[in-house]
Amino acid sequence: MSDLSAPVLAVQDLHREFGGVRAVNGASFTIPPGRITGLIGPNGAGKSTALNIIAGALKPSAGTVSYHGKDITGLPSHKVARRGIIRTFQLSSEFAALTVLENLLVAAPAQRGEALWQAALGKRYWRPQERAMVERARQLLARFDMSAKEDDYAGNLSGGQKRLLELMRGLMANPALLLLDEPMAGVNPSLARRIEQHLADLVCEGLTMLMIEHELAVVERLCDPVVVMAQGRVISQGTMADIRSDQEVLDAYLIG
Amino acid sequence: MSVAWQFYISTVLIYLGVDVIACWGLNLQFGVAGLVNFAFIIFQAAGAYTAAVLTLGPAEPASQGGFQQYVGGAHWPFPLPILAAGLVGGLLAALVGGFTVRRLRSDYEAMVMLVVSLIATSVATNQVGLVNGPNGLALVPKPLATLVNLSPIGYQWLFVGITAAICVCVYWLVHIVTSSPLGRTLRAVRDNEQAAAALGKNVTGLRMLAFILGGVIAGISGAVLVEFISAWSPGSWLYPETFVYFTAVIVGGSGNNLGVMVGALLVPVAFLEATRFLPQFGPPGLIDALQWIVVGALALIFLWFWPRGVIPERRRRFPVAAKAEVPVRTGE
Amino acid sequence: MNTIVPAIGFGIVTASILAVAGVGFTLQFGVTNILNLAYGDIMTAAAFVAYLVTRAGLSVWLALVTGAAFGSVFSVLLNRCIYTPFVRRGTRLFGMIIVTIAVSLMVQNGLLAIFGANFFSLKLPRPTSVHIAGMVFSTVQLAIIAIAAVAMLLIHLLLRYTKLGKAMRATAADPDLARNCGIATDRVIDLAWAISGALCGLAGVILVMNVAAFTDTTGAQFLIPIVAVAVLGGIGQPYGAMLGALVIGIASEVAAGIFNPEYKNVVAFVILVIVLLARPQGILSEVATRKEVAA
Repeated sequence: MSDLSAPVLAVQDLHREFGGVRAVNGASFTIPPGRITGLIGPNGAGKSTALNIIAGALKPSAGTVSYHGKDITGLPSHKVARRGIIRTFQLSSEFAALTVLENLLVAAPAQRGEALWQAALGKRYWRPQERAMVERARQLLARFDMSAKEDDYAGNLSGGQKRLLELMRGLMANPALLLLDEPMAGVNPSLARRIEQHLADLVCEGLTMLMIEHELAVVERLCDPVVVMAQGRVISQGTMADIRSDQEVLDAYLIG
Repeated sequence: MSVAWQFYISTVLIYLGVDVIACWGLNLQFGVAGLVNFAFIIFQAAGAYTAAVLTLGPAEPASQGGFQQYVGGAHWPFPLPILAAGLVGGLLAALVGGFTVRRLRSDYEAMVMLVVSLIATSVATNQVGLVNGPNGLALVPKPLATLVNLSPIGYQWLFVGITAAICVCVYWLVHIVTSSPLGRTLRAVRDNEQAAAALGKNVTGLRMLAFILGGVIAGISGAVLVEFISAWSPGSWLYPETFVYFTAVIVGGSGNNLGVMVGALLVPVAFLEATRFLPQFGPPGLIDALQWIVVGALALIFLWFWPRGVIPERRRRFPVAAKAEVPVRTGE
Repeated sequence: MNTIVPAIGFGIVTASILAVAGVGFTLQFGVTNILNLAYGDIMTAAAFVAYLVTRAGLSVWLALVTGAAFGSVFSVLLNRCIYTPFVRRGTRLFGMIIVTIAVSLMVQNGLLAIFGANFFSLKLPRPTSVHIAGMVFSTVQLAIIAIAAVAMLLIHLLLRYTKLGKAMRATAADPDLARNCGIATDRVIDLAWAISGALCGLAGVILVMNVAAFTDTTGAQFLIPIVAVAVLGGIGQPYGAMLGALVIGIASEVAAGIFNPEYKNVVAFVILVIVLLARPQGILSEVATRKEVAA
């Protein structure tokens, strides 16, 4: 990957307050294509807030977010998602009363049969596309070893399985940029290794990602570049090696 | 079968049809889309008033012997008043939904809608010029009555047929929504709207769609009802009626169109009709009071033992595509 | 101007009743996070108990005490036997609304079945009128205002200076934290319902003292203004409820005096809707998120 290729996403001087607390206080960073950009920092650094702003779940009080050069600041989350920026959630957010397969089907973009007039045209209109979506979903399930759970209600899955579902659902949406909010939070170590492997595979396939993560060993293995935030600002950017030697980062939180 | 029995059964069937239609509308809003519309009955009422006014013709002024005041009026032939009722139900839903379909916790949302219902009742009762206040509208001509020459019982069965035909149409509408990707997306929005939005779904637009469709269907149910009973007043649409419909949907199976049919059969129809056969005991009004006590108890019992209803929402499975015969190419 | 000053007088009486009722309602919500829509009907039931007491020739003061006691016991049993089991079962917020409405219908119609669709009045000693500052009060109404004031004072003392009061405030602010701190939350909840139930019963009795006649729906008709009072002041905030009672009590009577008396309740309705839509946490409450006000 050329270092000179234009960033997929650029965040410029973001600000956001919550009742007097400056959660994000002038953060700027870019996300290059085809790699996982890590977003790390101590608790309260503003990482989740920044991700939520990019994803359109929050509006910044100042600053811009540009996607492939186009300003998308302040767009509502569904419009951001339609442009190919898909985010996952830190807390399980599955559609509990839908089956695992249905959870994936919902995520597929540009579905026939989602508008009222299309639904009125009947099964013959939207069934063929749905069948193709089902195939794609089944391939995803197979890839993540969840085929047996296809017809289970998503609400009945274990915590680890829900994390996998979260990731699969994000992939089903055909993202151009995938925002991962602590994808391995609360997951047992062996599952965390599996998720890590999946993410590495995705990078090899060329998917651009941004990942908030706490375990620095994982960040070192997967992420390049890494953005460090503290107290709402970006205090360092670069490879993990660069960051390890940055005094400001060391001050911000102790790196083991 | 004696004519009296035929009258009774055909009447019950018509009430059943009306309640089934209403429950389908409420199910679309609540069961499928997760909207807590505790003002549901006002949409049925709007449809009833619309159909009544468009069949009665313009109000006669009191000087000419008129005894009802209301706005508008026309002599539209069947089925136009019913279609107009659906339209008005939808418009009212667009109006009300615009400021209530938002992210309030669900019991607050229920409170807001309950209050909207009470305000509507208050306005309809006190603004006498609107829909004739507390006395309501009466003597609404029955559809097609002048065009066909039938005995009273024959007309009853005709009306049963009309109701059944309308049921089929409404079923088609709710079925295409519920069984299509649109239905799946609505259920996803119901389950977790943030996740749905993060996947590109226009949550507000989808909710408004479900709310408006439910309003249209509720309006149609009101029209059919008023065309049958020929009268409609605020007493017909007090807020406990919404509660009855919710109980029917919950008992029958929220989210399942067939389930709510069963709910409509069990709650408004079977149970309320069953008391008709009890000998009149105690002072007048006692049986009505007991009915409501039993409705309340039914709601509690079903919410406790079968919170998902008699016929719960179906689990959707997708057939595995039969492996196509792939000719084996040797030497590849 | 002629109608406004006496209307304010009526408003003060209404506000007194609303204050007692509203504080009870908001305490219940604050401690258990349930909108108890059967509240108005429990008020009516307490009124009927008071009616039976006065019909037996006993003193009105005894009727007040009995009504309050009835409200207290009934509310504790209601929460213990019906609401808490459903909550423990995982019934979600909207499901609980259905439960409370079911109870409301059962109580209201139970009263209808027992007493019939008649109008009743408490046997009160003959009141005389008192003129104060251009407003006219009957001695009964002055008694209502006095009772309400005493009740509010007692509540204030309870919340401020007793362990129970502090425990209730803690449980209202953060139930999990309260439990972890060793506050015996179940007992606190029982006592909270006992006290708020007493207020409910008391409110029911003074409500019917202020009307010429009451029936099975009298309390239920008062429910929405009570909810409006509680929500306006910040749900779970007793002092907010007192403030809300003043606002809504006086505003609705003045509106009734100026416009159509039929629309008296509509003022409360509209205020409730506006508050829920614009500022659901109410006037006084700062922290809304803990109670998941916006779902």
